Amino acid sequence: MKRLFKSIIIAAAMSVLALGVVGCGKKDEQKPADNATAAASGPKTIVFASDATYPPMQYMDESKNIVGFEVDVIKAAAEKAGFKAEFKNVAWDGIFAGLAAGKYDAISSSVSITDERKAAMDFSDPIMPIEQILVVPTDSKATSLADLKDKTVGAQISTTSALVLKDAKGLKAAKTYDEVGLAMEDLVKGTIQAVLADSPVAVEYTSHKYPDKIKIAGVVKSDKVENIGIAVKKGNKDVLDLVNKGLAAIKADGTFDKIKAQHNMK
Amino acid sequence: MTNRQKIDVGEGAAIPTRNDWGLFNAWMISLVGAVASILYLLIAHPEPYRRLLVYLGDGIVITFKVTIASILCACCIGLITGLGRVSKNKVINLIASTYVEIIRGIPLLVQLFYIYYALGRFLNVPDLTAAVIAMSVCYGAYMGEVFRAGITAIDKGQTEAARSLGFNTRQTMFLVILPQAWRTILPPVGNEFIALLKDTSLVSILAVADLLRRGREFSSETFLYFETYTMVALVYLVITLILSKGVSFMEARLSHYVRR
Repeated sequence: MKRLFKSIIIAAAMSVLALGVVGCGKKDEQKPADNATAAASGPKTIVFASDATYPPMQYMDESKNIVGFEVDVIKAAAEKAGFKAEFKNVAWDGIFAGLAAGKYDAISSSVSITDERKAAMDFSDPIMPIEQILVVPTDSKATSLADLKDKTVGAQISTTSALVLKDAKGLKAAKTYDEVGLAMEDLVKGTIQAVLADSPVAVEYTSHKYPDKIKIAGVVKSDKVENIGIAVKKGNKDVLDLVNKGLAAIKADGTFDKIKAQHNMK
Repeated sequence: MTNRQKIDVGEGAAIPTRNDWGLFNAWMISLVGAVASILYLLIAHPEPYRRLLVYLGDGIVITFKVTIASILCACCIGLITGLGRVSKNKVINLIASTYVEIIRGIPLLVQLFYIYYALGRFLNVPDLTAAVIAMSVCYGAYMGEVFRAGITAIDKGQTEAARSLGFNTRQTMFLVILPQAWRTILPPVGNEFIALLKDTSLVSILAVADLLRRGREFSSETFLYFETYTMVALVYLVITLILSKGVSFMEARLSHYVRR
């Protein structure tokens, strides 16, 4: 009986301790939230979701900050339009679901503006046009999707690249990856024979990450210009207006071109 | 008499006998519920559920393939590991124990990444093979422990009797100990099968087009997250329930031979 009593006391003490630890954790977490409410009276804070696995558009630097071309564009736009931009790293697969669920105000993750997406969410004015680029190993002779008959081609899940692949005829399989980097990894390994990706990413991987292993095979032609933009929840006009105002301002005064030059973007 | 609970008299803890109301047991309710929900969704809302189920089709096949292949390989690895763990040979014992310790200490997700992306740099294995290897190596270690426990649970007298009847060690193990150990081993191994089936959803990280990945592809194109994941969960539930019934059926067959 005594031993039982003792073990109950110990268990109780440990649970109190555990609760204390959790409680402290919560207190720490509350601080930024308090700041956010305080900031609401000042300039408006807009939380942008970014999948930071997409160099050079948005990625994590070594000190775990989300950086990249689009991040710089948004930060500059925020300065001009008078709002505070906060970035949140969110996995690409499900990033749209999070927007619909109100987990953040906007998505800044090189989102291509398509009619299907427009039906589900609202988009800012286009930031810039991009193209679909086919990346192949350096020794490959393929220059277009038609040259890849009975081959396996990869793309990141739920991107416009994946949609193009899904409609492509004659491929052995179209594989969808969680991150574009994983697709490139498989291409370097030789598991797949090509990767379809957005032009900035394709350039980054072929010229900086694996310059001697993979190359650009060609552009997949489309009759429509593909633009990237900022996505917001359907009907969220406040945020959309602020973002558009900022984007227009940096494009008008040349800041946008300056950022482009800084990142060596065409 | 009516309200008194029946208690099995025998070895082990006194647990009241299961008192199922015929067809209304937990398994039946879950299965009928899941199947009925799927049928209801398909009939009442053909759009998008029929399109969705067609899209998920080949994913279900892949999930099945990975599960069956991994179960078979994991059983073989598990048996070898279990025998190694009870072996008198110190080297074999050490190898088996080290394998179990290492594999149990690494999360399955990390093992999947490791085999496919890290080791993939040196030997290029196709995604499905990598998935099966990772699953079987991981579950082989868990099953090895189950086999070991089952073997050690057999009364020492059985070995002594077999040896004094002139069986050698190998014959004792394969003809006397293992056939009896199966009964103890099967229920926990059945649990491992079901856990393995559910864990195959992790292989979608290798871009294997399994049930979960097909669901993710569908939802990301159509933005129908609720519908997609409801269906994916129901399909997993139905497969798991059928598998668990298969395991308990085998259990019943084996316990048939128990002397009471």
